[in-house]
Amino acid sequence: MLNDLLLTLPITIATVWVLVLILCEAFVHNANLTRWLTAIGFAGIIASIFLIPSPEGYAYGTMLRTGTFTNFSNFIFAVSGLLVVSISDKYLEEEEINFGEYYIILFISTIGMMLMGSAANLSVIFIGLETMSVALYTLAGMLRKDVRSNEAAMKYFLLGSFATGFFLYGIALIYGATGELALPRIAASLQTNGVSTLFWIGLSLLMIGFLFKVSAVPFHQWTPDVYEGSPTTAAAFMSTGSKAAAFSSLIIVLSNISIALPNNAVLQTAFAYIAVATMAVGNITALTQDNLKRMLAYSSIAHAGYMLVGIAAGSNEGYSGVLYYALIYTLMNVGAFGVIAVLERHRTLTNASDYAGLFKQHPLLAGLMAVFMFSLAGLPPFGGFVGKYKVFAAAVEADLTWLAIVGVLASVVSVYYYLRVVIFMFMRDPEPAPQANANATGSFALVAIAVIVFLMGIFPTEVLKLADNAMKVALK
Amino acid sequence: MEIGMTHYLALSAFMFTTGVIGVLTRRNAIVIFMSIELMLNAVNLSLVTFSHYLNDVQGQMLVFFVMTVAAAEAAVGLAIVISMFRNKQTINIDEINILKY
Amino acid sequence: MNSLAYQIIFYLFAAIIVGSAALVVISKNIIHSAFGLLFTFFGVAAIYVYLNADFIAVTQIVVYVGGILVLLLFGVMLTNKITQADLKTETLNPVPGLLITLSVLAMLLYTFYFRAKWVTVPVDQQLRGTVVEPIGIATMTTYVLPFEIVSIVLMVALLGAAYIARADRKVQTKEGK
Repeated sequence: MLNDLLLTLPITIATVWVLVLILCEAFVHNANLTRWLTAIGFAGIIASIFLIPSPEGYAYGTMLRTGTFTNFSNFIFAVSGLLVVSISDKYLEEEEINFGEYYIILFISTIGMMLMGSAANLSVIFIGLETMSVALYTLAGMLRKDVRSNEAAMKYFLLGSFATGFFLYGIALIYGATGELALPRIAASLQTNGVSTLFWIGLSLLMIGFLFKVSAVPFHQWTPDVYEGSPTTAAAFMSTGSKAAAFSSLIIVLSNISIALPNNAVLQTAFAYIAVATMAVGNITALTQDNLKRMLAYSSIAHAGYMLVGIAAGSNEGYSGVLYYALIYTLMNVGAFGVIAVLERHRTLTNASDYAGLFKQHPLLAGLMAVFMFSLAGLPPFGGFVGKYKVFAAAVEADLTWLAIVGVLASVVSVYYYLRVVIFMFMRDPEPAPQANANATGSFALVAIAVIVFLMGIFPTEVLKLADNAMKVALK
Repeated sequence: MEIGMTHYLALSAFMFTTGVIGVLTRRNAIVIFMSIELMLNAVNLSLVTFSHYLNDVQGQMLVFFVMTVAAAEAAVGLAIVISMFRNKQTINIDEINILKY
Repeated sequence: MNSLAYQIIFYLFAAIIVGSAALVVISKNIIHSAFGLLFTFFGVAAIYVYLNADFIAVTQIVVYVGGILVLLLFGVMLTNKITQADLKTETLNPVPGLLITLSVLAMLLYTFYFRAKWVTVPVDQQLRGTVVEPIGIATMTTYVLPFEIVSIVLMVALLGAAYIARADRKVQTKEGK
């Protein structure tokens, strides 16, 4: 028991820390203290991943998987949480929702993500998903007096629970077809008993749940509405952490099942078509968006499409590409949302045209936004380029050259709408001057993110090696 | 004569389908949530059926977690519905449409 | 028990479930929907008894009927002005939704009856008698982690629901209180 707690140290730390946060908020009532404690909690999780990396194996029976894959995915979630906390305070104060609950709920959501990223049992994936989702539903509705935030929460809640229904029915049918809930034993049962139609139906229902969470076409309609209506910082968290969690869970399920289904041509084709549809719909709709948050929402659909290319490749190369992509996407997307959060004021200053002449007013913010836009567009030398290269290369290796070509074309289309923002910022004259004053923590975090995005584009090898290791060791 | 496993599963599939139809066709947030509860109940029924016929207690464990999560979701959902109603005086999701293009 | 009576009672409960579930979805009156849901929950609990899941059956009644349904009814009452006859809710575009879902149902039923390769155990090894003991043991051994995490789900739901639904309070600024 004690051993299990130590093996899953990040989750243990997070769970204990939640109690500290709640007690602190209940008795001290100071949102700023809670914010700092939350940041310390995330830093502690990151530190524990680096200082005491867990060895390969299982914890709590076969409930959780430990090892390099888990370390890498936990790192992504903790980074996402830490960055979102550090860009949040100014936005929350301006919107008058600077309450400690925001940080606590965000922290609990991360526990759900970590469970999803280290699950080895379908019931743990389900509970992790729900911990994350219930927390995110409330985060979406944080602006209680704003009808748009209410609406975002309502839509996210209803559609999310609907998707959970499919997800669970999938789990139930897989359980019926194989008699197991633990993923390794499901694979073993498939090997001995063969794969039945019932299993395929269950798997496709399960995939509907996952595709909803990563906002893949045709389960993407909620994304723009929810991201636009939610508090901007919460949208930053939803688009990065929850997406990374759903992808890491998806990788865990698929890589376990692929032991029993070595030539999974059906799965590969299905994911390839979904990836194409997701990239096409995301990028083409993003072209027509004026509101930056909606534009980033469609761009996040498109990025889910790029990551699905790596899933479609179905190899360890592809999966580690997805992991790397999830990390770099977390950095650059939190950065982009962070700049919006700094500038936005009560839902004004969110259109691309509002950013006209930003460079003259706030050269730093404009420069940072340009870095994030270039990186999201996948232009070298920024990190986004390496991520795209990695997943597309994996697709080519898996004989899906056409898919990689579609992906490259889609990213060419995406350059247009990202560059439009940059052109507004640098080439146009300011109409009413956008008033912004990033505070110290916020701007420090944004600068740090930009530097890391830049560094991960120039020196990607170390991180790539980590991502490769995560797949190689963990799932053979 | 024993009642076969497929009877239970067919019943569960009917319930699930009814729930899905409810979500797709109804426009009141609370009715949609009731339909989602129907879907979750259908899943629970399937899980208990499998658990019985597999002589395995895992399915029933998962049913417990589903029930707990359903309760948590109900609490959050009710809170969201109330805050929405407070601001907008409607929970009819056709009238909730500021977030459009 | 007489096996014929056993079967008749099963089909009776199945009919109650199907009928009341349909009522939930079809009824234009939201209170009728809530009562339909009540009968569905009871019917499902009865079916659990058939499946030897005594503990789950009791929990079903306590959690779903005693908790979730009551919450839903509160929601209905708080968001509808009962005095006005405003409890009617509309339905919308039923045809495509119906077609898709019914085809999925047909596929499921076809699979259940003709294509399934069930991994079942012989009748004499199926769960018999009370399952409270194995469930208790599983809760405290193999399933201890999900069991503990579920408490966090409940906690975040309480936190979030209290935050979203409660009355306003003063905002804190940088300087503290």
